Amino acid sequence: MNWFQRLLKTARMEKELDVELRFHFEAQVADKINAGLTEAEARRATRLEFGGLEQIKQDCRESRGTLWLVSIVQDLRFGARILAKSPGFSVTAILVLALGIGVSTLAFSLYNIASLQSIPVRDPATVVRIERRSPANINPGVPYASIAYYRDNAKSLSAVMATMGVAPLVLNHDEQRVRATFVSSNYFSELGGTAATGRLFDAARDDAASAPVCVLSYRLWQRKFDSDPSIVGKAINLGGKPATVIGVASETFASLGSDSPDLWLPLLQHSYFVEGSKPLADPKFEGLIGMWGRLAPGVSRSSAEQELLSLTNQLRKIYPTVIWDHEYIVVSPGAHFFTFEGGPGRPPLLEIVGLLVFLILAIACANLGGLLMARGAGRQREIQLRFDLGARKLRVFRQLLTENLLLGLLGSLAALPLSYGVLRLVLLYSNAPAWMSALPDWRVFLFTSAMGFVAALLFGLLPTLQMVRQKKNRSLWHQFVVCAQVGASCVLLILAGLLVRATLHTMYSDPGFGYERVLSIDPGMNGHGFASAQAQAYLDQLQNRLRTVPGVTFVSIARTPPLVNTTVTTTSIDVAGRRIMIYPNWVSPEFFQTMQIPMLRGRSFRQGEKNAVILSESLARKRWPSEDPIGKQWEKSNNVVIGVVGNTRAMELNNTDATEMYYPPSADDFPEMSVLVRTAGDPNTLTPTIKAIAGSIDTGLYPTITPLTAGFRKNVSQAEQIAAIVSLLGGIAIFLAVVGLLGLVSYAVSQRTKEIAIRLALGADRIEIFTAVLHRFAWPVLFGLVAGVAITAGLSQVLRRALYGISGLDPISYMGAMAILIAILAAAVLLPIRRAFQLDIARTLHFE
Amino acid sequence: MSTPSKFDLPQGTLDLLILRVVALGPIHGYAISQHIQMISKEALQIQQGSLYPALHRLENKNFLVAEWGSTETGREAKFYRLTAKGRTQLKAETESWERLTEVVAMILQHPLGEPS
Repeated sequence: MNWFQRLLKTARMEKELDVELRFHFEAQVADKINAGLTEAEARRATRLEFGGLEQIKQDCRESRGTLWLVSIVQDLRFGARILAKSPGFSVTAILVLALGIGVSTLAFSLYNIASLQSIPVRDPATVVRIERRSPANINPGVPYASIAYYRDNAKSLSAVMATMGVAPLVLNHDEQRVRATFVSSNYFSELGGTAATGRLFDAARDDAASAPVCVLSYRLWQRKFDSDPSIVGKAINLGGKPATVIGVASETFASLGSDSPDLWLPLLQHSYFVEGSKPLADPKFEGLIGMWGRLAPGVSRSSAEQELLSLTNQLRKIYPTVIWDHEYIVVSPGAHFFTFEGGPGRPPLLEIVGLLVFLILAIACANLGGLLMARGAGRQREIQLRFDLGARKLRVFRQLLTENLLLGLLGSLAALPLSYGVLRLVLLYSNAPAWMSALPDWRVFLFTSAMGFVAALLFGLLPTLQMVRQKKNRSLWHQFVVCAQVGASCVLLILAGLLVRATLHTMYSDPGFGYERVLSIDPGMNGHGFASAQAQAYLDQLQNRLRTVPGVTFVSIARTPPLVNTTVTTTSIDVAGRRIMIYPNWVSPEFFQTMQIPMLRGRSFRQGEKNAVILSESLARKRWPSEDPIGKQWEKSNNVVIGVVGNTRAMELNNTDATEMYYPPSADDFPEMSVLVRTAGDPNTLTPTIKAIAGSIDTGLYPTITPLTAGFRKNVSQAEQIAAIVSLLGGIAIFLAVVGLLGLVSYAVSQRTKEIAIRLALGADRIEIFTAVLHRFAWPVLFGLVAGVAITAGLSQVLRRALYGISGLDPISYMGAMAILIAILAAAVLLPIRRAFQLDIARTLHFE
Repeated sequence: MSTPSKFDLPQGTLDLLILRVVALGPIHGYAISQHIQMISKEALQIQQGSLYPALHRLENKNFLVAEWGSTETGREAKFYRLTAKGRTQLKAETESWERLTEVVAMILQHPLGEPS
C-alpha cells in the first residue's frame, strides 16, 4: 500500500490491525493453556504481557506516516465544531476578516485585471510596446518614419503595428462624437482579432490608394446601428468624410493600450479622414503614433532593444532633427491593459492604494486579534481541562492555530463574493471592455487565501501562544492592538475628511473666474494641418462673426481653455531657492473680461502686442514680495510685466499651489487656439447658432463646442468619486474599530467582573471603577491618535494635488476625524461597562 | 510469566532480526516472536509493543509484504513475506552488523584496550 492508500483505507487498516493483534493474543493464550494454565489465568497473564493494546495500535498507526494529516483533519473538524458553537463570535470574526480581506482582494483584482492579466490577443507574451526615450525626453509616441524604418529593418521583430488616437469625430452629423483610432492594416490579423460580421482590415486591400473604409466596435454597432448586420458595405459619414463599413470587430476583441475606441480606421488613410494632416509623410509630425511589435521567435525584449538602438543610430543620419540626443528605445510588455509606471513626477498611485488597503487589513487583523483574545479568556477552563487530561502543549497550540486558520479561510471565502460583487459593479459602471471579467482567476485566489492565511497567522499567533501558556497578563499585546487599530482608523478618517472637505471646497468656493456662461469652441485646426496664418485668419473671422450674434457679450481666444482642456502645460521658476509652479496660458486681450478675471493692477494686452506678460496676483507676490511688479522684466526674457490679475483655479481646480501667467499668442500658437464666448443668457441656447457659424467658415473643420460648466462638473465628479471611495474605506475602518473595541473592552470587563462586583458591593464610586477599567486603554488610544495624525500629515503632502483647495494639514478635517473617532470609541467602551454596572453582585461573587 | 528480555536490543537490531526470521518464509507476527525466543534460547523476548510497530514500519517501507491466510489451527492471520527490496536490505544490514561486531570485538579484545 502506498501513502495515499494508507491515508484513504483507514477503516480497513484499523480492522486488520485489530484482527492481527487479537490473533496474537489468542495464540499466546492458547499456548499458555497448553502449558497448563487455566483459561482465566492464561488470559490475565497475556493481558499483562501485552500492556496497553491501544498504545500498540497507536504506535502502529504512527508508522503509517499519515497521522499528521489525519490529525489536521481532526483539528479542522474540531475547530469547525467550536466555531459553530459560538456563532456570534464566528460571524463577527468572519465578517471582520471578510471586510479586511475583501477590500484588499478588490484592489488586487483591479490591479490584476489592468496589469497582470494579459489582454486576450493571439500569443500575448510576444506583443510589445515600443517607446522612445532620452535623458531629456519621455515620449510614448514614435514618428511614423521611424516606425516604417524599424518595420523594414528590425530582425528581432516579426511584425510592427502602429496606432494613433485622434480627437473624437462626428459620426453621421450626430451631436455625440465617436472615438476613432487609426491603426496599421495588420492590426487585427496580428492580434488574432475576429469579425462579428463582415471583415477586418487586410494589409493587401486597405492602403492609402484604396477606398476609405472603417471597422466598427461591437459596442458602437449595438448602440448606433442596433446590431444591424446589413451595415456592412454601407457608407457612414465620419468628420464629414464618407467611409464604407467593412465589418464589426467581435465583442471580445481587445485593443492594445487602455483606450477602447468606437471604431478603427486605416492609418494609411489618415490624411483622407483628417484633411490637411500628414502624419505619415512628415517625420516631424507631432501627433502621437503608438508603436507596437511582435517579438520574433526566441528573441528577448532586451536584445530587441539593442537592435532597435543600433537602428536608431542609423536613423539619426537620415533624420538628424527628429532623433534626440542619446535616444534609446524601450521595449515593454504590450499585452496589458494598463502599466503602472513609476518614476519622478508621477503620483505613487500603487503605493497609496497599497497603503490604504494595508491599513484596512491591519485594522481587521488587529480586531481579530482582540476578538481571539477576548474569547481566549472564556476558554481558559476548556484549555486547562485539556492539559489536565494529558494533552501536549504543542498539540493544543496546533489545534488552536488550526482553528484560526479555519477562520482565516472562511474569511477569505466570504471576501471573494464580496469583492466579486463590487468589482462587477465597478466594471459595469466604468464601461469596461467586454473581455474584462470580474471572476477571480488563480492569482486572485492565491492572493486572497494568502491574505487569509497571513491575517490568521499574524494576529492569531500571539493570543494563541498566550492562551496555551495560560498567561493572565495580556495587557501589552492588548495595548498594541488598540494602538494599531486606533492609528489606522485615524489615518483613514482624516483622509476621508480631507477629501470630502476638498470636494465641498471645489463645489462651493469661488474658482476665481466665472465659468457659468462661457462656451469653449475648439476648432481642432492643429489636427488638420493648419498653418499659422491660415489659423489666424480663421480665428479672426470666427471671432468677428460671433461678436455679431445677439446675446454674446465677449469673445476671446486662449490656447488652454479653462476646465475643458485635456492637457495642461506647466512651467516653474525658482525664487530664493523655492520652486514656484506656474500654469502659462496664451490669450487674447479680451480673455480676462470673457472669463471675468479681475484686473488688479496695470492693464490687459493690446491687440498684437508682443513682449508683455500678465501675472496672477499670487505669482506676482511670490516673485516680488515687496515691490511693484508692473514694468519689471520677467526672468531672463525681454517680456515686461504689464498687469496683475486675480488668482484663478482655472487650469486645475485641485491645485491651489499653482500660479498663472499669461502671454499674448505668438504665430505658432494659432493652430492650437480655442475660442471662448461669454453669453448674456443660457449659453446652450446659442450652441446651434455658434455651430452653424463655425461650420460655415471652414467646412473641413468640425469644432468641439463645450460649455465650461460641463468641464467643471467633470472635475468635481472625479473629486467626488475619490472622496466617496475613501469615505467608504473610512466607514469600514470605523465599523471594524467599533467591533474590535467592543470586543476588547468586553474582555477587559469580563476579566475584572469579580473586582467590579466587590467594589460595587463595597459601595465604590462608579466613576472610579470606570476609570480603573479604562485606565490602560487611555495611553494606547492616545498613541494611536498621535501616530495616525503623523502618518496622515506625511501622506497628505503626497495627496496634495488631489486635495482641491484644502491644505494637507486642514485642522477641521483632523479635529473632526479625531472627534468622531473618540466619540465612537467612547460609545464602544460604554456599552460593556454599562452592562458590568448592572450585574447581579451576589450572583457574580457566588459564581467565582 | 513474562521473562524480561535479557538484553537491551541496540537501535535497529529488531528490524534486522525480523527481516532475518521473515526471510525463512511467510510467517505471522506471533510466530516471529516465538521464533526469536526459541532460537535465542529464551534470551530474547520481543514485546508486542515493539514487534507490531516494527512490522508495520517495515511493511510501509516495502521491505515486507503481508497477506492474509489461515494458520494450521484454521485461524485467520496476517502472514509477512520478504520483498526483493527487503532481501537487499537484509543483506546490507547483516553485512553492516557483522562488520560492527567485528570492529567492536577487535577493540574489546585488544590488550591495550583492556580495562585495568
